[in-house]
Amino acid sequence: MQDFLESIENSGFSSYIRETPSVLGYSTVLALHTFGMAFLVGLSGVIALRVLGVVPELPLKPLKGLMPMIIIGFWLNAITGLILTSLAARSLLANWDFYVKLVAIAVAIVSLQKMRGYAFRDTSAPDDAPASAEARRWAKAMLFFWGLAVLGGRLTAYATYIRIQSAEAVAVAVILLLLLARYLVRRAHRSHVEARI
Amino acid sequence: METFLRTWLEWPSVAAFIAKYTWVWPLGETFHFFGIILLIGGVGMFDLRLLGLAKQLPVAAVRRLLPWGVTGFLICVVTGLMFVTGVRANVPMSPYDVIKTNPWLQLKFLFIAFAGLNLLAFYLTGMDRAVDKLGPGDNAPMMAKVIAAASLFFWLGVIYFGRLIPEGL
Repeated sequence: MQDFLESIENSGFSSYIRETPSVLGYSTVLALHTFGMAFLVGLSGVIALRVLGVVPELPLKPLKGLMPMIIIGFWLNAITGLILTSLAARSLLANWDFYVKLVAIAVAIVSLQKMRGYAFRDTSAPDDAPASAEARRWAKAMLFFWGLAVLGGRLTAYATYIRIQSAEAVAVAVILLLLLARYLVRRAHRSHVEARI
Repeated sequence: METFLRTWLEWPSVAAFIAKYTWVWPLGETFHFFGIILLIGGVGMFDLRLLGLAKQLPVAAVRRLLPWGVTGFLICVVTGLMFVTGVRANVPMSPYDVIKTNPWLQLKFLFIAFAGLNLLAFYLTGMDRAVDKLGPGDNAPMMAKVIAAASLFFWLGVIYFGRLIPEGL
């Protein structure tokens, strides 16, 4: 297995991407990976925000139109992810953090599909109707696992003790920010309702 | 002027904090990425709607996502400032020299400025009011589409040049 991974790492394509002094090699593949992440997670996150009722003004059904761009983001990430893995296959595949990232991506994709299925199922529902409890559950799962995938991706370059410390720091920061966001969203909704009365 | 900038940009306390606590830099990187996601989910989504994606969405409703994009940008600014002012924790260079010699960081700043000017053009040309009236299925005016395409180009450029910064260190 190690020989096979080594042969992938030492292939002409992987060696070129890794070693070329041109910025069109490794850094550009990394940038394309970031573009894919931004569209995949950013736009699926928009659907999740509407499903969770954070942005109730957005009509639900037309958000289905974002799916083509989300799918482009996914494939861009998958292709560039494979290229990046081929550059350091042996060290990445011996890194438990890398598997956390892969599992998180797989669960986030399943959650996205489930959320989409439940959110867009009832074609006769009015645009301002709240999403079903199932759709909300999958939206929360998707956001959590996207967050975990991004965190896993960032931490692969660090030593184990730094990863653990960083993961704890991110968890604490995210919980504090979510509490703040929840307070702000609730306050905004209260003033919105009062303004309507 | 150079002495002033060298002193002003160097934040030894930030560099020392990053050097002492190894989780600070990865925490900043992770939030920088969360910021990028919010930026594209807010501003990028608005641009894509003006360009015709998910055209059944009324533009005024999509506009409600812009504060999320601005929040993402602010998160990137705060974490980005931390990377620049505390750069000495990772590289034996002063922030002044990094800004002066790194072409990718300079291009990133330039593209952020272009994105800001583009946003100014969106308001000065009255496109902000024009697109607010767009309902489900309506096409945006050509000027709004050009500004939206430029906005996406500049923000993706900002992300791209940001990824190249380590090449110039």
